Amino acid sequence: MAETKPKGNEKKRKSLGSSKVPAVESKKKARKLERKAKRDEKKQRRVHRSGPRLPSSFQRELGIQSSRDRAETDDDDDEDEERVREDVFEYEEQIAEEESQKNRRFDPVDNYDYELPPDFEDEDVPSDDEERHLNMLHGITGMPPQAFKGGEKKKVVFSSVQGDVNDGKISIQDLLDPLHGKPGYSNLRKRIDQLEKKPMAVHPPLPKVEREKLERKVAYKHSSKDITKWEPLVKRNREAPTLYFDKDVDLGFSTVGAIASGFEPRTEFEKKMASLMCDPEVTEAHLKDGAKLLELNKLTSEDVKDRQHRLAKMRSLLFRHEMKAKHIKKIKSKTYHRILKRERLKAPSSNVEMDLEAAKEEARKQEFKRAEERMTLKHKNSSKWAKRILKRGLSVQDEGTRAAISEQLNQHALLTRKMNSMKDTSSSDDSSDDDHDETDSEDVSKLLNKAKEKTVKVLEEKDGIMKTGVLGLPFLQRSLKKKMEAADEEARLALQGYDSSLRQLDVNEVENVTSERTSGRKVFGTPGKQAQETNNQNQSYNRGDSNSEDDFDNIEHVHTGFEADKVLPESQIGQDSFHDDGDLRQGSVFKTFDDIVKDPGPKTTFEVAIFASDSWRKMKPEDMVNVNKEKQGTVKQTLLPDPNLKEVDMDQNSDSDADEEMMDGNLCFNGVPEYELPSRADLLAFATDDLKEQFEKDKLNILNEENPEPEKPVLLPGWGQWTNVQKKKGVPSWMLEEHEMAKRKREEALKKRKDAKLKHVIISEKTDKKAEKLLLKTLPFPFTSKEVYEQSIRMPIGPEFNPAISVRALNRPEVVKKPGVIIEPIKFEEVDPNENPDEPKRIIQNKNTPSVKKKSRKSKSSGDKAMLANEIASKLLVGIQAAERKEKAPSKGRKGKAKAECSSRTEIQQIPDEIGEGMKDIVPPVVVEDSRASAPQRSIDRGPSRKVSEKVKEVIDLSTDQEETITEVIAQELISTVVAQERPCVVIEDSVPIDIVEDCDLSRATEGQLCIAVDESAQIIAIVGSDLPMVTEKHILATKEQVRTADEQRKVVEESISLVSEEADLLIIEDEVEIVAG
Amino acid sequence: MKVKVISRSTEDFTRERSQDLHKVFRNYDPNLRTQEKAIEYTRALNAAKLEKIFARPFIGAMDGHIDAVSCMAKNPNHLKGIFSGSMDGDIRLWDIATRRTTCQFSGHEGPVRGLTVSTDGNVLVSCGNDCSVKLWKVPSSFEFSDTVEDAEPLANYVWKYAFRAVDHQWASNIFATGGAQVDIWDHNRSNPVNSYEWGTATIVSLRFNAGEPDVLATSASDRSITIYDLRMSSPARKVIMKTKTNALSWNPMEPMNFTAANEDCNCYTYDARKLDEAKCVHQDHVSAVMDIDYSPTGREFVTGSYDRTVRIFRYNGGHSREIYHTKRMQRVFCVKYSCDGTYVISGSDDTNLRLWKANASEQLGVLLPREVKKQEYLDAVKNRYKHLPEVKRIVRHRHLPKPIYKAAALRRTMVEAERKKEERRRAHSAPGSTSSQPFRKRRIIQEIE
Repeated sequence: MAETKPKGNEKKRKSLGSSKVPAVESKKKARKLERKAKRDEKKQRRVHRSGPRLPSSFQRELGIQSSRDRAETDDDDDEDEERVREDVFEYEEQIAEEESQKNRRFDPVDNYDYELPPDFEDEDVPSDDEERHLNMLHGITGMPPQAFKGGEKKKVVFSSVQGDVNDGKISIQDLLDPLHGKPGYSNLRKRIDQLEKKPMAVHPPLPKVEREKLERKVAYKHSSKDITKWEPLVKRNREAPTLYFDKDVDLGFSTVGAIASGFEPRTEFEKKMASLMCDPEVTEAHLKDGAKLLELNKLTSEDVKDRQHRLAKMRSLLFRHEMKAKHIKKIKSKTYHRILKRERLKAPSSNVEMDLEAAKEEARKQEFKRAEERMTLKHKNSSKWAKRILKRGLSVQDEGTRAAISEQLNQHALLTRKMNSMKDTSSSDDSSDDDHDETDSEDVSKLLNKAKEKTVKVLEEKDGIMKTGVLGLPFLQRSLKKKMEAADEEARLALQGYDSSLRQLDVNEVENVTSERTSGRKVFGTPGKQAQETNNQNQSYNRGDSNSEDDFDNIEHVHTGFEADKVLPESQIGQDSFHDDGDLRQGSVFKTFDDIVKDPGPKTTFEVAIFASDSWRKMKPEDMVNVNKEKQGTVKQTLLPDPNLKEVDMDQNSDSDADEEMMDGNLCFNGVPEYELPSRADLLAFATDDLKEQFEKDKLNILNEENPEPEKPVLLPGWGQWTNVQKKKGVPSWMLEEHEMAKRKREEALKKRKDAKLKHVIISEKTDKKAEKLLLKTLPFPFTSKEVYEQSIRMPIGPEFNPAISVRALNRPEVVKKPGVIIEPIKFEEVDPNENPDEPKRIIQNKNTPSVKKKSRKSKSSGDKAMLANEIASKLLVGIQAAERKEKAPSKGRKGKAKAECSSRTEIQQIPDEIGEGMKDIVPPVVVEDSRASAPQRSIDRGPSRKVSEKVKEVIDLSTDQEETITEVIAQELISTVVAQERPCVVIEDSVPIDIVEDCDLSRATEGQLCIAVDESAQIIAIVGSDLPMVTEKHILATKEQVRTADEQRKVVEESISLVSEEADLLIIEDEVEIVAG
Repeated sequence: MKVKVISRSTEDFTRERSQDLHKVFRNYDPNLRTQEKAIEYTRALNAAKLEKIFARPFIGAMDGHIDAVSCMAKNPNHLKGIFSGSMDGDIRLWDIATRRTTCQFSGHEGPVRGLTVSTDGNVLVSCGNDCSVKLWKVPSSFEFSDTVEDAEPLANYVWKYAFRAVDHQWASNIFATGGAQVDIWDHNRSNPVNSYEWGTATIVSLRFNAGEPDVLATSASDRSITIYDLRMSSPARKVIMKTKTNALSWNPMEPMNFTAANEDCNCYTYDARKLDEAKCVHQDHVSAVMDIDYSPTGREFVTGSYDRTVRIFRYNGGHSREIYHTKRMQRVFCVKYSCDGTYVISGSDDTNLRLWKANASEQLGVLLPREVKKQEYLDAVKNRYKHLPEVKRIVRHRHLPKPIYKAAALRRTMVEAERKKEERRRAHSAPGSTSSQPFRKRRIIQEIE
C-alpha cells in the first residue's frame, strides 16, 4: 500500500472528500499499480501546476499529446477513459458510489491509505520563487503586485473547482471551451461525446475471499521483499570462517580484585579478620608507604629475643658441623677412612633389616656385582693367579690347573663368541671360509674377491650344515636352512656376475666356485631325477659358456619348483590345459591373450602383471614330451645357435610381431637389473613350458594368498573320544558343511575376480587393510574433486609444525562464543561488498552500533578535525577523572560497590556517546580494566588517555581516509606482529601467563585504542596500542618493588609512558603530563 | 681472505630476567618432520575417543512441578533464569545455577500453554486453557534466596478462547497469542491491539522472528504454517503440509529461515520467501517432534520429541549431531537453548526440567588459555579427519535405548521399502509418465496465497 500513495492532486481530493475510501478502490489500485505509476508520471509532466487555463505552450503540448494518445490506444476502453480524464487534467467525478453509501452495497472498511497531516501543504501553494518573481515584476513595472497575480487567481479558481465538485456547477464543456480552436480539440471533443453517450459502468466489488487473497498476496510480497535485505548479511556470516559472539563482555565480577572488593565478612572469624584489616590505621599505613606498618606490628621484645637465640644456635651448630667435616677430610690415614667407609656401608645394611624394599634393592645390587665380576674378571686370564700360571707356562702345570685354565678359556671363548654372534652372525664362519677359499683366490683383485666371498657365503653355508662339529649346532642349522631358500636364487645370480669377471682372471677359481655350487645344489635341490639332471647340466656347463648355464640354471630351478607343485592335487587352476589340451585350446588361449595385450580392458588401479612370451606359442604337444631332451640339447647348442632350430622357431613364430617382442623383454624373471637376459633363441628353445608353468604357479600363489583356502576340519585330539560316538561318526556334519560353504565361497570369489577368465593376466585384488582405513570411498560432501580435498588436508595444523602466530588462526573454530555471554539476535548492518570473505566476522551485539555507522560518516566529512579531537580528548579525560572520583566515593554494600565499578568502566566507554554517536568510530573508547581502585592503577590509567588525546588527530585522518569502520582484525594483526617481533613477552611473577593477556585484553585493542592488560593483582601486564609494538610490564614495573611512595609510582608510570612514546615515535608534551598527573 | 664468523646478538638467546620465557627457536622445515600427517591423524583419533569418554552431557534435573511440564521460556536478559509452566497451572522460575525454584507464579486454573518473557526480562507473559493471559513481574534479583517467592500477576486479561501459544516481540511491548486466532496484545491494554484470522483451525504454536521483529509465524491444527506481518492488516502466506507442525522456531541469525518441528518425526527448515519447498529436512527422531528451539548462534537447534529424546541438529544438517536421553526422561514437551548457547534445557512429561550441556564433552568452568588452545587444536584436527572411517565411526557412535534403536531400524526399513517400491514403479512405467518429487517437497501439500 505504501506504493499506492497518490500524487498531489489526488491526495487533495481525498483529503477533501470523506475519510472513508471504499476498499474496492484500494484494491483496484493494487491491481493497476504499474499503470498508475506510468500515469502519474505523465500526469506530472502534463498536469503539473496547471490551472483551468493552460499557458499556450502547455495547450499545444496537450493537443499533441492527446492526438498521440488517440493513435495509440483504442484497444483498452478503461485506460482510454482514464486518459481522457487526465487530458482534461481534472477527474470529474461526483462522490463515488461507494462513498455515498447509497445502496449499502459496500462494506465499510477502514481507511488504510496514508492520511495527510493536518498541516499538509499542497504542491500548488505559491512558492517563494513565484513571490520573488512578482516582486521583481513589481520592481520593474512599478505596478502593484496584484496585477500580476493572474496565474494565481486561476489556481484559486482551480481549487474552488475542486471544492465545488459536489455542486456539479462546472461541466466538462466549460472546461473544454478554452481549448476551442486548438489543434486536437476536435478529437478530444469527439471522444468526450462518445464517453457521454456510454452509460457509466461501475464494476461490482470483488468477493471477500478474492479481496483477502489479493491483500495477502501483497502483504506477503512486501514482507518477503523486506526480509530479503538480510541476504547479504546472512551470506557473509555463513561464509565467514569464524563467527565471534563474545564481544562486549561484561561479566560484572570480572577479576579477583573486583570480587574481593565485593566481599562481605559473614562468619565470626571473617568479621574478626575484617575488623583487623579494615582498621583505619592499617589502611592509612598501607596507603602511605607502608613504613608505618612496622610500628603497628605487635611484636614483643621477648619474641624477638627468642627468635634471635634460636637463629644463633642454629648457626653455631651449622658451623660446628662444617668444621668437623673439614677436619675429617684432612685426615690422611687410610685405615681410618676404610673403617669409616665400612661403617657407612653398615648403616644401610642395618637399614635393610628394617625395610623390605631396601633389602630387595640390596640383593639386586649384589647380584649385579657378582655377575659383573663373573663376566669381566674371572674368565679373562687377567687375575693374578692366571697371570702367574701363564707366565710359568701351561705345560709345567699339573692336570687340574690346566683343566681349570682351559675351562676358563673355553668359558671366555663361549661368552665372547656369543657376544660376537649377536653382533655379526657370520663372523665366526668367515674364518673357515677364508681358509677354504683364499688358497685359490690369492692373486685376484681384492675387491671382487670380497664381494664374491660375501655372496658365496650364502651358498657356502650349505656345506656347513653337512659338516658336523662346531658349526653343526642345531639352532644354527635351522636358521641357515630357512635363510638358504630365500637367498639361494639371488646369491647365485649375483655370484654369476662376479664369476664372469673373475673368470677372466683365473679359470681355475671359477671351477672351484662352481664345484662348490654344484655341491650346494646337490644338497638342497630335490633328490632323484633332478640331481641327475643337474649333473648333466653341470657337465655341459663346464664345457660351455657361463651365461647360458645360468639361464639354464634359472629355468631349471623354476622347473623343479613347478614339478614339486605338480604333486599337489587338483587345486591348480587350468594347469592341465597346457599339458593335455590340443592346439585348439591353446590357440584360443593365445588369442585371448593377444586381445588382452592389445586392449588392456577396463582400467583398474590394480597392479597388473602380464606374462607374455611368444615362446609359449612355439610349444607343441609333441615338444612337451621331450622337454628334458630338448633342454639338454639346447644347452649344448647355445654355444653355436643352431640354425635349424631357429628356422623351426621362425616357422612357428611367423605371426609374432613387435608387440610380442616387447613383451618378451618384460618376462617375469626376478633377475637382478644388470643381469643380462638370455638371447631370444635360448628362451625359445627351452624356457617355454617352464615360464608358462612358473606363471601359473605365481598366479595360483597369488590367488591363494588373496583368497586363502579354508582349513580342513579337524577335531581337537581327545575331544569327544571317550564316548566313542564321535569316533565312528567322524568329523561332525556342521563342520563339514562349514568347510563346504567356505570352499564354495572361495570358488565364487575366485570366479568373481577380474582375472578369472584371463589366463595370462594377474590382476591383484589385494587390499591393504592398514591403508584402507586411511582411504575414503567417496569424496566428502563439500568437495568436488579429489585434488581439492587432498589439498585441504595436506598442511599440518599443529603447533609443532607451524609458527605460533598462525596456529591459532589455523585452528580457529567456526563459532567462538563464551559461556555466560548472552547472544542477541542478529542486527541489521550494511555489508561491504568489497570485504574480504575470509576474515573472521564478529556479530554485532551492541544495540546502537548500526546507527552509529551512518552518523559517523556525516561527521567525518566536517573539516574541523583538530577541534573535534581536542574536544574528545578533554571529554575522555573528564570521563576518566569522573570514574576515579566514583571509585573514591565510599560505596555502600556489596552491590553498590560492584555497580560503581561497572559504571566507572561503562562511563569511560560512554563518553564518546555524549559527544555524538558518530564519534565512536573516530575515537574508539579507551578500555581500562581497573580491577582495584589503587593509586598506581589510576595514575597509569591517565597515561593512555593522554595518549589517546594525542593520537586522535591521526586516527581521524585515518578514519576519513578509509571510510570504513575499524575491525578487530587489525587487532589480530597487531597481536601477530607483536608475536612476530618476538619481543620478550610480558609475564610477571605470580601472574597470568601471556596467553591471557593475548586472549582477553589485547584482542580488544583496535586501531587507535590503547589496551591495558591488568592481571589479578592489579599489576599492569601490557599496554598495547595500534601503533605501539607492545609496552610490557618490563618497562612499567621494573622497579615495582622499590616503588613505595605515590611520587615514585607516578615517576615510574611516566617513565614507562615516555618509553612507549619513544617506541611509537610520538611526541610527549610535558605540561600535559603535568595536567593529567595533577 | 674472508673469514666467516658465527655471530649472534645476545638478545636472541638471553633472558632479561630469570622469569622470562625462553625463546624457542624452531625450524619449521617440513622435511624435518615427515610424519606430521600420521601424527595428526592419530591425534584426531585420540581426540575422538577422548570426546566419547568425556561425553557427559547431563548436568542435572530440576524437580518441583507436580504435573507434566508443558512450556518453558528463557529470560533473554538473565542467563540463569528459566520459566516453566506445567499442566496443572503452576509456573515456576528456576535458578539454573543452583537448580532450584526461586519463584512461583500461581494463578492459572488450567494447563499453562504458553510462556514468554519480554526482551528486557522484566515481564513474564503466560497464557493457558483458562482463556486468560497473565502478566507477571519477574523478580529482579534472586541471589542466595532460599525461600520460594510467590508472585501476584500484574495484569490478568480474560479473552474469548483458550490459548495455546504466546510469544513476545523482540524489543517492544507487544506480544502475540495464538488459539482460535492470532491476537496481538500490548502490555498495557486489556484487549488485543490487532487480530488475525485465516481459516478456522486452532493455532498450535506461534513464534516471532527475532531478527525481523514484525514477522510472525504460526502453525495450526489444520497442518498449516502461516506467516504474518504485523505491518500489514492481513496474514501473508500459508503452507499446508501432510502432517501437523507442533512447533517452529526462527533462526535468530538468519531472519528469513525458520524450522518447523513436525508430527512426522522430521523437522523442516523453510525459507519464508519460498514456502513451496523446504530448504532442509532434518530427520532422526522416531516419533513426533514436540518442540524446537534455535541456539542463539543460529548454527544449531535443539528438538524434543515424543520418543523421549532430545536431539541437537546443525542448522544445515540432515541428521542430528547429538542425542540425549535418560532412563527416567519421558516424553519431552519443551526444549530451550540457553541464551549463551552453552546449555540445553528440556521439560518433559515426568514433571522434571533437565539441564544438558549443548556440547556433550565440553569442559565446564574456567579454562586456561593453554587448555582452550589445545581443545581448539584437537577439534580442528578431528574436524579435518572426520571423514576417515575410523574417526567417523567413533564420532558417530551413540548408545541408544533399545526401543529407540529398534524404532529407528524399523523406520529405516520402512523408508527403504517405500523408496524401493517407488523405484520399481518408475522402472516399470513408461519413461516420463511418472514424476518423482524430492523429499523436501513431498510433505508439502499446498502453498496458499
